[in-house]
Amino acid sequence: MTAKPIEADRIWRGIALLAAYGLPIFFILLPLCGFLVYSLFWVEGTELHYELTLVNYRRFFTDEIYVPVLRQTVVLCLEVAGLCIAFGYPVAYFLSGLKGRKKYTLLMLLLVPLLMSYIIKMYAIRSILGGNGFLNRSLIALGIIDQPLTFFVFNLNAVLLTLSVLLLPFAILPIFLSLERIPKNLLEASADLGGSNAQSFFRVILPLSLPGVISAATFVFVLAIGDFLTPQMVGGQSGFTFGRIIYSQFGTAFNWPFGSALSVILAAVVIVAILVGARFGGEKAGVHR
Amino acid sequence: MAVLLELKGVGKAFGATRVLEHIDLAVEDGEFITILGPSGSGKTTILRMIGGFTQPDQGQILLDGRDIAHDPINRRPFNTVFQDYALFPHMTVAGNVGYGLKVRGTANAVIKQRVGEVLDLVQLGSLAARYPAQLSGGQRQRVALARAIICQPRLILLDEPLAALDVELRKQMQEFLKDIHREIKTTFLFVTHDQEEAIAMADRICVMNYGKILQLGSPTEVYYRPHSEFVARFFGDNNLIEGVAGDRGSVATPIGTLPCAADGTEPAAGAKAFAVIRPEAIRIGNEPGANTVVAGQVSSVNFGGAATVAVVDVAGVPLRVKLPSRAEGLPLKVGDRVQLAWRTEDCRLVAA
Ligand SMILES: Nc1ncnc2c1ncn2[C@@H]1O[C@H](COP(=O)(O)OP(=O)(O)OP(=O)(O)O)[C@@H](O)[C@H]1O
Ligand SMILES: [Mg+2]
Repeated sequence: MTAKPIEADRIWRGIALLAAYGLPIFFILLPLCGFLVYSLFWVEGTELHYELTLVNYRRFFTDEIYVPVLRQTVVLCLEVAGLCIAFGYPVAYFLSGLKGRKKYTLLMLLLVPLLMSYIIKMYAIRSILGGNGFLNRSLIALGIIDQPLTFFVFNLNAVLLTLSVLLLPFAILPIFLSLERIPKNLLEASADLGGSNAQSFFRVILPLSLPGVISAATFVFVLAIGDFLTPQMVGGQSGFTFGRIIYSQFGTAFNWPFGSALSVILAAVVIVAILVGARFGGEKAGVHR
Repeated sequence: MAVLLELKGVGKAFGATRVLEHIDLAVEDGEFITILGPSGSGKTTILRMIGGFTQPDQGQILLDGRDIAHDPINRRPFNTVFQDYALFPHMTVAGNVGYGLKVRGTANAVIKQRVGEVLDLVQLGSLAARYPAQLSGGQRQRVALARAIICQPRLILLDEPLAALDVELRKQMQEFLKDIHREIKTTFLFVTHDQEEAIAMADRICVMNYGKILQLGSPTEVYYRPHSEFVARFFGDNNLIEGVAGDRGSVATPIGTLPCAADGTEPAAGAKAFAVIRPEAIRIGNEPGANTVVAGQVSSVNFGGAATVAVVDVAGVPLRVKLPSRAEGLPLKVGDRVQLAWRTEDCRLVAA
């Protein structure tokens, strides 16, 4: 009578353990390894050769387009992260200053876009930024410009703006959470010791919210660099990114091994970004305890 | 002594609940004054209004004759030691202590020197480079104190700064705070709900309950001469004998008409009242000099370390008697018939 539940318990524990370790291994590690293996094959015409070679990696480093595009993409994503922090921080700060129910209602409103379909958001932004979009038409209607502006239409700027708008909630949330964690009496202590509001902000709030800023930047950077759909849809001819190149290798070029090699390189960049973020964030947060 | 800070008719309500009623309090320059009261009596609220963290609804807070009740926090020449210390976790001990000077734009060399001096004063000189997370509770406490005294404020506000410490450390810190107070001669306004702590530390105690000041005086005054039932009950294990006030400070009780010392705060004749007698003021047997003698029967004897407490039933009223303990035990056992005696000046009269 008593043995049964314990036995069942053990089985359940085993299943839970299997799920906790098995799922990530099965759905993340295995596919990644698959990519790694695939990147060592090579293609001739439309024929796939299952022989191990480093030719794909050699091509990445020697061909003159791939490294510059990767660099340009990394810079772009850093800019996206920068923009998201620059706009997300004030919003998060404003939110955390609100009281009671208002705070969380507004937070929810800001986070709703997270749940919306990606495609819908992108079309919405396209219809704002496009040559005939809302922004240009408003500017013309207001008499500020005569011709539609082109510097944010179907180029890298458009990608930058769109990604920033799409990923802004991912920046607001971690910053908001880190601001919420700052005990209010630290601000009272700062004022009590003679600190002005600006001094309290720069000497107490800002440093204590840095872990949140860093995880926000990591989030946004990683999500931005993995995105190929946004550049595809708003980037036009000039808005070329690394993600688009990978996409084209799997699509039109039909060179899966080379696409896999590029994916592995991208994954390496992402892992480095996460490690750097964890290192800085951990260092800052380590002081808390 | 000169008055440093004066609260005049200060009142405060949070929504519909009145937290402070017409508080009048004059803090004297250089004194160690303690606000003592049970939880929720409004102690913190008074402190926060002086510090500028809360605004009073009515009344004035006068510093040098000027009302500062609505001045911003950072313009007041007061510093606070917060209950949970509120140390900046991302700054070292030296950074925390030097913060007040830093925001005033003091030169770094001067800050360094002053921080060194103040850390030596609180005996933390060797820990300047540590972070708050790497300190013990008592050490954090002293950092908080050092941070509050470095700007040489006119008044230091302390809100139950010792509440989080264990008994032993607490006693040490009480001594330590007193020493610091003697050393720097700054005025201390100290909040606590612990009457022993208040008695051990304060020059004057301000007893509060339900947002009102009930009594203000030296520790011996509030201890031996309570003006109200609340204060009489708050300080330890006083005997309160219910009765009706008579003329010239006497009170008619079930154990007889007891003469009491009068100081003008007693209830009028005919009002319900309590005779208040400290258990350590009662002697067993008819001693010379005692003015009041009653007879009763011992109902319990409890050894409690330094003192032994005997409960004696006098005409149905239990009276606690506190006697110095002896190794061989007291010559008292349950059931003994004894006489209890005390002096008139040890019996006080308060309104019921
Ligand atoms: N911000 C607030 N909003 C509403 N009520 C409050 C607020 N602050 C304090 N109060 C109420 O005011 C009363 C006095 O509070 P206060 O903090 O001054 O008490 P205290 O004497 O310091 O008590 P304790 O010993 O528990 O710290 C309490 O009844 C409390 O509930
Ligand atoms: Mg309090």
